[in-house]
Amino acid sequence: MTLKSHIKAAARSLYAAKQRTILALIGITIGIGSVIAMVSIGTIVSEEALKQFKEMGTDILTVRKDYRFEGGDFQKADVPIQLNDALNIPAYCPAVLAVAPYVKVEAEISYTGKKISGSSALGVTQSFSNLNKFGIESGRFISDLDKYGHFCVIGNSIYQKMKELGASSIIGAKIKLGESIFTIAGVLKKTSGGGLMRQFEPNESAYIHITTVMRLKGNAEISTITAQTKPDSSPRSAQKQIKEYFKKTKTPNVRVVTAEELIENMQKQMRLFTLLLGAIGSISLIVGGVGIMNIMLVSVSERRKEIGISRALGARRKDIQSEFLFESVILSLVGGAIGIVIGVLLSFIVSYFSKWEFMVSYMAIFLGVFVSSAVGIFFGFYPARQASMLDPIVALRSE
Amino acid sequence: MLKLADIKKTYKIGPTEMEVLKGVNLEIAQGELLSIMGQSGCGKSTLMNIIGLLDKPTSGSYFIEGREVSYTDDDALSDIRNRKVGFVFQQYNLLPKLTALDNVGRPLIYRGEDEDSIKQKAIEFLTKVDMHERARHRPSELSGGQQQRVAIARALVGKPAIILADEPTGALDTRVGQEIMNLFKRLNQEEGITVVIITHDLNIAKQCERFVIMKDGVLLDK
Repeated sequence: MTLKSHIKAAARSLYAAKQRTILALIGITIGIGSVIAMVSIGTIVSEEALKQFKEMGTDILTVRKDYRFEGGDFQKADVPIQLNDALNIPAYCPAVLAVAPYVKVEAEISYTGKKISGSSALGVTQSFSNLNKFGIESGRFISDLDKYGHFCVIGNSIYQKMKELGASSIIGAKIKLGESIFTIAGVLKKTSGGGLMRQFEPNESAYIHITTVMRLKGNAEISTITAQTKPDSSPRSAQKQIKEYFKKTKTPNVRVVTAEELIENMQKQMRLFTLLLGAIGSISLIVGGVGIMNIMLVSVSERRKEIGISRALGARRKDIQSEFLFESVILSLVGGAIGIVIGVLLSFIVSYFSKWEFMVSYMAIFLGVFVSSAVGIFFGFYPARQASMLDPIVALRSE
Repeated sequence: MLKLADIKKTYKIGPTEMEVLKGVNLEIAQGELLSIMGQSGCGKSTLMNIIGLLDKPTSGSYFIEGREVSYTDDDALSDIRNRKVGFVFQQYNLLPKLTALDNVGRPLIYRGEDEDSIKQKAIEFLTKVDMHERARHRPSELSGGQQQRVAIARALVGKPAIILADEPTGALDTRVGQEIMNLFKRLNQEEGITVVIITHDLNIAKQCERFVIMKDGVLLDK
């Protein structure tokens, strides 16, 4: 039998049992659709997270106190990073261009007696803006001349909320931060955050000089130091130098992570995440496949007579088997094609409402075509084999 | 051209063995019109299945055109069936989804012939049985006699060595049955086609130039 006559015969049988064909199609469409949607959304989310790193550059390192107590000396490990040690990094590590230590403080922010919810304060240095690639909307950023001073720079969301509260001129306005009054010196542009590099909410934070925080809150600890590598040095050498440097300080155990390592880590996690989503989608794919198998089995038992006649006319087992196999493969390929469209559409809708950048994952489409034909062959094989193994005499006698 | 030598067929039903064919010897010459007659249960159908290569004998030899065929593998049997045997059934057994034309062309599809030549041959053989005007009709749109004509065209299309008709008039009334019989006779006389008709109807059997009677698993030549 030629390929063309196989496809023709399969299409004819599928068309003759329209209702059943449509039901099987729905099953496989949902299956492929959910795999495509899940994998696409996974890919879109990973790309979205990676965007931040691309924006900040790969020459950034983060330094933190190491909470893993190697050697078991609890007291020694619990000493916080000293501000002077942090600021002296560029002087002792030739590969480091600049550092920006920061302190997170939980403090209520209020303007004209009204609370601005969801905000917190960050103690920073002048270099912080540069390293985090901040843009200034108006005014200026915190300067090292603000040492111990009560000036602050606010993130864009705080600015918007103050405007809602009726503030007309922001620069020079006064806000209350905890128990102290601060004068606003500048406003930041809207900045994306919440990822692995900017581990704070850039738009919901008020930035004040780190020395001011240290003085107002005695127990404040430097949570993270962001460091930038010199253009002609490698992040790896900067990492090594910083580690060596801290061994001579009161905080000998620090973790220094390069952007590269962070990206690697994140990509590993994202791959796992995408895999998990794909696995969830695969469950419905299996259900769809079983649906195809069920319908093919019904079709075989319904067409026993036809199989008997074909065998009497000279069809080989192989011919009967491929006739049924073609049917299930056509079924799953058509279902797969519809599923791909639905899956891509679904991921478009999700990314549209989440304001993520939409993109079509060609890997997902390739996967969809491959998986749907595999499903067709896998779940169609058993019914097709059963059809081909029928005894022609018995098949001819059946009604 | 066809030769059956001491063909035996035994069925096992549980522990008991039932011998349906007890040594059948039969020779069919090219261009013969032969009928095999017998009561139901005498082994006619089993013999037909063996002649038609749908079943294998338990012992004995079966030659088609001098070639022993009874013990070849399934694929080879399908191929011989396709090229050497044309079936005509009591219930016509046309494929309901296909038009008369596509039904007639069906055996050639398994030979991998191209569509145009299949179509051309199908029309040629539909014309031979006077059904070319109904080529586009489906079996459900045809009468019993018309369906049987299409089935005969399907049996002829592959130019087989033998036409094997199992009670071809059994589902038709006497008049239409006689028309089908006349068609067989005409094909046999004009085209020299070998026809074997299996029947329990003496009237049909008598119209053939030679008829044999089957009784209790053996053939009695008349």
